[in-house]
Amino acid sequence: MMAQSKHILSFPKDGKPALIPNEWQICYAGAENEDLLHSDWGVHKVLLPFSWWQAHFNSGNTSSALVAKVKQGHIGVWFSAEEDILQHSALIETGKSLWPIVASHFPIFRDGRSFSTAALLRERFQWQGEVRAIGDVLIDQLIQGARVGFDAFDLRPDQSLDTALQQLNVFPVSMQNSWRNKRTLIEAHADRFLKS
Amino acid sequence: MYKYDSIDQTLVDQRVSQFREQVGRRLNGALGEDEFKPLRLQNGLYLQRHAYMLRVAIPYGLLSSDQLRALAAISEKYDRGYGHFTTRQNIQFNWVSLEETPNILAELAKVEMHAIQTSGNCIRNITSDAYAGVAADEYVDPRPICELLRQWSTLHPEFAHLPRKFKFAINGAKEDRTVLLCHDVGIELNINAAGELLVDLYAGGGMGRTPILGALIKQGLPWQLLPSYLTALLRTYNRFGRRDNLYKARIKILVKALGPEEFARQVETEWSHIKHGDDHFTIAEWDRVAQYFTKPAYKTLTQVPLNDVIDIAPDQDRAHFTRWLERNIRPHQVPGYVSVLLSLKPHGTVAPGDATTAQMLAIADLADLYSFGELRVTHEQNLVLADVEQSQLLSLWQAAKNHFIALPNIGLLTDIIACPGGDFCSLANAKSLPIAKAIQERFDDLDYLFDLGGISLNISGCINSCGHHHVGNIGILGVDKDGQEWYQITLGGEQGYAAAIGKVIGPAFSADDIPDVIARIINSYVDQRLDGETFIQAFSRLGMPPFKEAAYQQISKLKIASQERGA
Repeated sequence: MMAQSKHILSFPKDGKPALIPNEWQICYAGAENEDLLHSDWGVHKVLLPFSWWQAHFNSGNTSSALVAKVKQGHIGVWFSAEEDILQHSALIETGKSLWPIVASHFPIFRDGRSFSTAALLRERFQWQGEVRAIGDVLIDQLIQGARVGFDAFDLRPDQSLDTALQQLNVFPVSMQNSWRNKRTLIEAHADRFLKS
Repeated sequence: MYKYDSIDQTLVDQRVSQFREQVGRRLNGALGEDEFKPLRLQNGLYLQRHAYMLRVAIPYGLLSSDQLRALAAISEKYDRGYGHFTTRQNIQFNWVSLEETPNILAELAKVEMHAIQTSGNCIRNITSDAYAGVAADEYVDPRPICELLRQWSTLHPEFAHLPRKFKFAINGAKEDRTVLLCHDVGIELNINAAGELLVDLYAGGGMGRTPILGALIKQGLPWQLLPSYLTALLRTYNRFGRRDNLYKARIKILVKALGPEEFARQVETEWSHIKHGDDHFTIAEWDRVAQYFTKPAYKTLTQVPLNDVIDIAPDQDRAHFTRWLERNIRPHQVPGYVSVLLSLKPHGTVAPGDATTAQMLAIADLADLYSFGELRVTHEQNLVLADVEQSQLLSLWQAAKNHFIALPNIGLLTDIIACPGGDFCSLANAKSLPIAKAIQERFDDLDYLFDLGGISLNISGCINSCGHHHVGNIGILGVDKDGQEWYQITLGGEQGYAAAIGKVIGPAFSADDIPDVIARIINSYVDQRLDGETFIQAFSRLGMPPFKEAAYQQISKLKIASQERGA
């Protein structure tokens, strides 16, 4: 039910990609799971399923331990690919001051819904904190993910992190506006070409 | 024609390196086949029955003679001496190897070509009118918008893994020659009274298992707003299109389930949040792109009456030349010029749309000699020299004859659209090429074909409908029943603004019966037609019954019963 990889690939919007130690466990419990209410969270930082948060936080049964962890900034949430985050605007707006990070899940690498989720978190909710890609995250999704709004990647355990790091500077140009940068304009590109 | 700037070139070059690295990981085992598959598909590389097949984009059907020479060289060096022009303005090479594909892509990049997004669940190669910029009935040249959208859709990060493939067609003429209504998004350009370029969008059209014509969901969109509107549309599809069932994943299923009005409303809601942002095409971008689509250096000529064009032909050639002019010429915007169709459908051909290395080289030379070094690919799988002086028609015809690309069968029964079918494609249920060949051989009489007049016959080897059988006046669909190949016939399909999906005539036929069945359907038309009435007009007037009755004459009840049991 809990998963934690050692390292994640961090790629801040105006920074460089790097491998950094991972502080966040992912909890894969179902929304109906009552046991979680009484979990001993210890010192871990935990990404809870958004559906669980929605069902249980503010339910009156919330344990004081959980409330304390939220106050410490040790709880974030992750959105499943099915989640229509636009239906939960109020919760997410409130979450901005509670969750240090959010994540969006890839049930399988070729399911692109979380690309739109990340884009909406940045565009619609103006989410300033980290948006982490979790689940079936493979080397060859990083370029797209980094552009739409993800700035951290918890890759599937079998992926080579060294190969992953090399992906993020493959394309020095782009044809669309995205969260990370505007599309390359010829004037700017020509200048850089001449200088380099 | 469009010239890459340093951004385009950098992107395409980097895409080649990226794919080379991905292929390297595949070959050293770091990348498994399941995870490599979407990567290779998004670079046009399929694994077919016998070999890998590479599908190369010919964006909106426009090709320079040098690009065609490069394609010819690739067909010789990496393939078996031919290429196959497809129904979506692509060219396919059927016999390439995985190891060599990065080298092929590198050769393509040198002539400003690529295979990006010619397959996979992403925005595919953008198609348009093969006569863009020259058609006499055009009110807007669609090419600048085509090119802007080619760029916008290339490596779009948010829409890299859609529920299913996504096809754009763009038209700016009175007639629709793009099968616009059978596309995921059909973009129709027009100019309003104030001279502004506006866009109407049709969504949710498609062929395949569930053929549906697109519904109008947006009218009068200023062209500059296309990026934000299309983002809203594709985002709605990306988030809510079905992913549980491959056959129900196209946008047409979502549009149908919601209803076009509700789908349009959802897109509009999403768009309302982003339309005031800065994600627009700018006038500067338009100017940068449109400068490449200005008119070539046309001479000032006067239109020559057809009879005068014919009169210059030697006596012994005159009848044949006249026929060619009748079928293979299209009107042009500029006096004294016409567009010329080169038929890639010689009777008894191996595959409709195939061109050999030698033919490609010859056609490139013809383009240089007669048409400013450019050519076009039609979705009917023929080639067009768009800007030919009327006075040059005779010598062009004579040259084309030498390369077997001058058959005057454009728009006639033997101008068959066909997918590669079971001979190559691993998706196919049945072969389509031998059926096309048998029909061409059966109707190998130009007098008769001319008498029959315009009629479209389209063949698909499976329900994916790459052969556009749904919109053929006569459609043939290969189906598999108990491991046997059978062929279902549809009648009444049509492309253009009067687009219609053909109706199934009844139980399927065996391959051997198809030429006879087609002959009986055709005879039934000949017997009943009114003066000047085309096949599709006669079908509209008479309906299915007389054609159905004719088709099943002499097909033994036993045979039908046995295959119905099998079904």
